[in-house]
Amino acid sequence: MAPRPQKKLFSRRKSCRFCSDSDLVINYKEVKTLRNFVSERGKIIPRRIVGTCATHQRQLCEAIKQARHIALLPYSGNPQG
Amino acid sequence: MRRYETVFIIRPNAGEEEINRVINYVSEIITADGGTIIETNRWGLKKLAYLIKKESMGYYVLCDFASVPASVAEIERRYRIDDAVIKFMTLKIADDINAEGALQAVDAVNDRVTSEEAARQEAEDDDDDDDDVDDDDVDDDDDDDESKEKNNR
Repeated sequence: MAPRPQKKLFSRRKSCRFCSDSDLVINYKEVKTLRNFVSERGKIIPRRIVGTCATHQRQLCEAIKQARHIALLPYSGNPQG
Repeated sequence: MRRYETVFIIRPNAGEEEINRVINYVSEIITADGGTIIETNRWGLKKLAYLIKKESMGYYVLCDFASVPASVAEIERRYRIDDAVIKFMTLKIADDINAEGALQAVDAVNDRVTSEEAARQEAEDDDDDDDDVDDDDVDDDDDDDESKEKNNR
């Protein structure tokens, strides 16, 4: 396979944020934590950029979708941002 | 008995009576089936991330309880009929919880609430003690600056 030309080298963290810091809880109510993993437009940031492990990424996705359902996070941001 | 958590949003222009009415019938349904209410937390008015039924703000209430699954169906049925409730979400937190576990959870919540209040009170007391504002004598040397500006012109 040809090497993928990566124009931007995203700063990939070597360790998952939740694995190393056990104080962080993934909960749909913790909007401040969840906002770190959501783009400006409200899209969920992929795991390869943030550096979370698979288990926590799945929990994060579920929490973000629950928060969206209860209007704590938007489904899609305004085109201004 | 299972442990559930329900969050519901009430219209912002609904008064205290409406909010209490909704919380009351929720608690009645839970206790009628022999469940225990662990916590009722009112988050208050918050801005919604998107418009729900053309409202931009809503009154959030969180209810943590343990009950049989039939009560959840009944509560959701009532939510759908009620005009004041614009959005609701019920999640299952734990599969098996007996009466003792529920009471322990209630105690844990009460302890957390009292400890938070105590911490807040301490913080307020600390703020009152730190009132040492030192008013230094500020020398206003404006005259010197003006003279320099005149020279530069």
